[in-house]
Amino acid sequence: MDLTRRDFLKASSAVGAALGLTASGVLDLQESYAKEGGLPVIWLTGSSCTGCSVSVLNSIYYATIDNLLINTLDMEYHTQLSAAAGALAVKAMEDRRKAGGYALVVEGAIPTADTGKGCYVWPGMTMLSAVKSYAANATMIIACGTCASFGGVAAAAPNPTAAKSVQAVVGTAKPLINIPGCPVHPDWIVGTIASYLSTKKLPTLDSNRRPTAYYGATVHSACGWRTQYVGPSHHSKGKPCTTCHSSNMGHIIAGVLGDSGCMYGLGCKGPLTYADCPNRRWNSGTANTPGMHWCVSAYAPCNGCTQPNFPDGMSPFYAMSGTATTNTGGTTSGTTSGGTTSGDRERDDD
Amino acid sequence: MATVMKLGPVTRVEGHLEVELTIDTVNGVQQVVDAKSVGAMFRGFEKILVGRDPRDATHLTQRICGVCPVSHGMASSLALEQAFGVTAPTNGRLIRNLVLGANYIQSHILHFYHLNAADYINTTGILDMSPWTPRYTTPDMVTGATASALVTNYVAALAMRRRAHQMGAIMGGKLPHTPVFVVGGATDKVTADQITQFRTILTDLRTFINNTYIKDVQTVASAFAQYDTIGKGPGNFLSYGVFDQDNAGTTKLLKRGRYTGGSFQTVDVAQIKEYVKYSWYAATDGNKNPATGTTAASASKTGAYSWIKAPRYIDAVHEAGPLARMYVNGDYRAGIGVNHRLMARALEAKKVADAMDGWLNQLVVGQASYTYKAVPATGSGIGLTEAPRGALGHWMGIGSSRINRYQIITPTAWNASPRDDAGRLGAIEQALVGTPVKDINQPVEVLRVIHSFDPCLSCSVHMARPGEKAELIINA
Repeated sequence: MDLTRRDFLKASSAVGAALGLTASGVLDLQESYAKEGGLPVIWLTGSSCTGCSVSVLNSIYYATIDNLLINTLDMEYHTQLSAAAGALAVKAMEDRRKAGGYALVVEGAIPTADTGKGCYVWPGMTMLSAVKSYAANATMIIACGTCASFGGVAAAAPNPTAAKSVQAVVGTAKPLINIPGCPVHPDWIVGTIASYLSTKKLPTLDSNRRPTAYYGATVHSACGWRTQYVGPSHHSKGKPCTTCHSSNMGHIIAGVLGDSGCMYGLGCKGPLTYADCPNRRWNSGTANTPGMHWCVSAYAPCNGCTQPNFPDGMSPFYAMSGTATTNTGGTTSGTTSGGTTSGDRERDDD
Repeated sequence: MATVMKLGPVTRVEGHLEVELTIDTVNGVQQVVDAKSVGAMFRGFEKILVGRDPRDATHLTQRICGVCPVSHGMASSLALEQAFGVTAPTNGRLIRNLVLGANYIQSHILHFYHLNAADYINTTGILDMSPWTPRYTTPDMVTGATASALVTNYVAALAMRRRAHQMGAIMGGKLPHTPVFVVGGATDKVTADQITQFRTILTDLRTFINNTYIKDVQTVASAFAQYDTIGKGPGNFLSYGVFDQDNAGTTKLLKRGRYTGGSFQTVDVAQIKEYVKYSWYAATDGNKNPATGTTAASASKTGAYSWIKAPRYIDAVHEAGPLARMYVNGDYRAGIGVNHRLMARALEAKKVADAMDGWLNQLVVGQASYTYKAVPATGSGIGLTEAPRGALGHWMGIGSSRINRYQIITPTAWNASPRDDAGRLGAIEQALVGTPVKDINQPVEVLRVIHSFDPCLSCSVHMARPGEKAELIINA
């Protein structure tokens, strides 16, 4: 039987778990918040591509960005949105820092080589210094995206600027939530903020400080090709499985990009990656509704972008995980592997 | 008496930009008499790419910028295809054009309304909350009904740019950072349903561009007519061309070309040189073409002030971007200045959106969108395209089946470059000189000129070469 992509998408939804706080929950939240005044936010950007901010602008499932900015958040500094520039913008940020009572959102990693001079947030102020001083007065810290959460692409080998994650720079003295993704999915950060505002508590976090509501299961566990998954014992290392690529065996394996079927042999890192992409999908156009597509439904193998070892531990992206890989001169992450901290499940092989 | 001031952070750009301005009164008008454009963030992508599987490049280079990732995916795919010796099939070319086009529309809408418009609108009484306050408020800003209408459209534009990304993800899987761009084409296999859904959103976007976006640019340009000529810059344009209309890339929607010293010329990228006298690199790196250049960071170098190198085409400063493309292509030659950049960008959004409808018709359901080719042991390639902000090139080489060199020159490197060895100011620096500044505490005129270029700093800061340790000291 040849699984069509439509069947694949239906299979993903059937397996899916609840997607967390619904849009109606956030609307209740916004009504209560409008009375009290918004949550002050200082959004600092470091060694970043701005992709996470662009992704947050795409928010719609729980709330649109205009709703968030007008009704829920006091976005007191954001590089791309703030009307103020120069000294006027710095004063606004510094006034809030001194007053306290804000959430610090960090996008991008923090370069630490040469006392942090790889990134300035304003003349004379390095990102390294800024993150430390803004973390000191924050009520909570959100590391937005994989670079802020774990170093990500900014810290990829050989990490020329010694870029580090927020946790590596400021530790966990203040409540810290990692919301990785490359980019982050808008729902993961918007939903987490909404959950925090409604419960006044941090959500349940895994050992990588990621909310389990969004990162609690592997991509593989909800993937529509799952019934077709064939683990490494059926594959020659690094080659698509020609033995299985026939309807007699009942396994549908993608031989080259664009084929229907499990892309494990083409480098899919779904079994190693914790995220709810198969159910939530990306770029939704409607509140409370998943998006149309995600990487795998566009015939692109998952590259593990929510994991602490992205990208080096997921590279080469088109090499099957479990094969030894090295990437560059300088330090490497060695073989591709799953989550490296205790508490995360082993690679999902069933 | 001249005043030197540093303006930073320059907000409503992508990345980290500061400008140092010398302001003086000339013929009774207080204005900028000198400018230095400073890129203030550095990651080192070239070092990061070396040693990796070449197929990873289309994904990693997108992380240079989350506003224009698709353009890097395109440039990387083209460079790799040259190195591998493979051409994307028609469906693959069309899918890539459509996803790139969707991001162009998203980026141009984002630019005019969300990055640029706050320079022109007094939002007092309309949006009295952060991030729209605090702000510069100058007497020349539009107020009243005009301001209210623009703010209403700012909010509507947030939804439209979101929908542009939704549209792009129909074939691109996800945006930002699409996973479907690969050497050999695009992974997605297009269905009739996808084409229909894509076209539905495209139709709405075209309506918005025609009835709202272009009209709002006209409103702002009319209210600020002096900006037709403020911010002219070097008056030279460079375009590598973009949106291939055939698989060989010989015909493009916006063609490759130059406008240098008042005449239209062809482009030979072997003529590009990068200068480093005012950039934090050793002097021996200067006067080199990207294919063969070297880079040795030199962060304490006397006189240097930026991590951006100074790319020049036969020793002339060139501007990149929508105005450059539309001028070279013959679609817009009304003038050069702030307003012309805003208008050319809006008209280009229309041109691209209209063309996308035709590309949807050319897709053939069931035809391949990807041609497989194995990673070669050796190879080299150059990928030239246009990001929303201008000319983008990737130069790369393969050895032992791994990337052994990777060089990127981005549009904002052309636009936000510092002086070159001969002391020629970069494009934005030139555009700033002569800009009037009525109130030195609210230099909104400077923001208007800078924003007209739509700078993207993550792209523009140069990357170190293999073997070089980055020493970073920024003159503050």
